[in-house]
Amino acid sequence: MVGDMGGLDGISPKEFIGNFFTSFMHDLVRGDEDPATVVDRYHTPDIVQVADGHLMDRAKLIAHTRPARKHQTGARWEVHEAIADGDRIAARYTLHFQTSKREGSVDVYFFGQFAADGRMRQAHMLTRAVPVRASDEAQLST
Amino acid sequence: MTVSSYRVIGMACGHCAGFVTEQIERIPGVTDVAVDVDGDTATVTSDRPLDIAEVRAAVEEAGYELP
Repeated sequence: MVGDMGGLDGISPKEFIGNFFTSFMHDLVRGDEDPATVVDRYHTPDIVQVADGHLMDRAKLIAHTRPARKHQTGARWEVHEAIADGDRIAARYTLHFQTSKREGSVDVYFFGQFAADGRMRQAHMLTRAVPVRASDEAQLST
Repeated sequence: MTVSSYRVIGMACGHCAGFVTEQIERIPGVTDVAVDVDGDTATVTSDRPLDIAEVRAAVEEAGYELP
């Protein structure tokens, strides 16, 4: 697996998945590119994500990024473990996020498949909101 | 009683639905909110007709958008 976004060559699955989400959100929130351009840099055109049973294709993913860009002030991915098998990665992580209105933490159980260049092809996620720990509040950054 | 449906852009999961529901429920007169994430809609029951501006403000407060 190769790619500009740090494929699995020379990097652990844990680092890869953390870098993927951190870099994607950084480009989305900090930059002034069109959200569609950023989404396409990190996802193949046929991207399919299923989060808690809700299907999200490219169009829905782009729509979902607009609120994030507008309101998100901080996000951090705490990857607990990740396992790779070929082009697939299974990971367990906690997303700590902060918007202008609220902060929160979400545990995520993730199964994903990535293209050779590091873009996400598909992902299935189950999520669960968890209480924000005091130690996380000071560590949020994009 | 008034029931109105609104298209909400940007929702992706149950957490999104929760954020939108929480904000719309704060509008005075709202008695029930049913969000359909896959259908991109929020169906709002209220004891008075709602101004679209009130609903838009609540949805945007939650971080999402009306078309």
